[in-house]
Amino acid sequence: MSAVQARHDTPPLSAVFQALADDRRRHMIARLAARPRTVSELADPLGLRLPAALKHLAVLEAGGIVRSAKAGRIRTYSIRPDALSDVARWVAQCRATLTEAFDRLDAAIAEFPDPEPEQDT
Amino acid sequence: MQQTICHTDFTIVRQLKTSPRHAFRFWSDAALKARWNDCHTDWTVLSEGFDFRVGGGEHKHWRMPDGEELAVTLHYLDILPDERLLYAYQMTHGGVRLSGSLVTVTFAAADGGTRMDYTEQAALLVGGSEARAPRLAGTGEGLDRLAALAAEGEAA
Repeated sequence: MSAVQARHDTPPLSAVFQALADDRRRHMIARLAARPRTVSELADPLGLRLPAALKHLAVLEAGGIVRSAKAGRIRTYSIRPDALSDVARWVAQCRATLTEAFDRLDAAIAEFPDPEPEQDT
Repeated sequence: MQQTICHTDFTIVRQLKTSPRHAFRFWSDAALKARWNDCHTDWTVLSEGFDFRVGGGEHKHWRMPDGEELAVTLHYLDILPDERLLYAYQMTHGGVRLSGSLVTVTFAAADGGTRMDYTEQAALLVGGSEARAPRLAGTGEGLDRLAALAAEGEAA
């Protein structure tokens, strides 16, 4: 059992690459870099139904990138602390922080529209 | 204590619902930039400065709720109004430098709005027990702290 467990702890690189080879899964990783989240928290921003989101999360789990835990009826996913290299984790965290900052930029632009809009000719 | 430097880069592309000229103001004007860039309402600002010109820069020094200090220093290398900016910045946590990056932001009219491309090329200082501790350690505790930092970003 422990040998199987050990193998599971270090998935082959191909599983890691497969896990990362999808925009939606990378989006999930970026969001999970901020904090653990429930399935619907991960599915909603992507417009995914829960079964589809669960399939993506299963790929991420097989790639050893995320793990899940169930508390009552709520299943929560989080990034495995040993999953990504320091560099990948840094990028994921940086992207998550910037994506949220740029969301605020969108809101700020809506709040302060151009006082002198350029005339289209 | 030997540090290793790792290099990486990434790009984020956003479509903004305004002209490049107006989008640029949200980077060049201190008050407008603060609208979206400052999110850490429970961090204490110890010092800050904003000087948007080539050769000028920006710095911000915070004390976070856990008592640790975080500082970001930025230098503008190239500014082409309404079109692009190029800057270098470094981040220091608890007196330990974590990273130095080169950032390019471009603004181009597209689809009635602005396509903004943010590209960051980073040199990460990893390794060395002290340097790893704040953010990059592969431990649960390190990740918790990282997650807390990221959560600060989204709380606002």
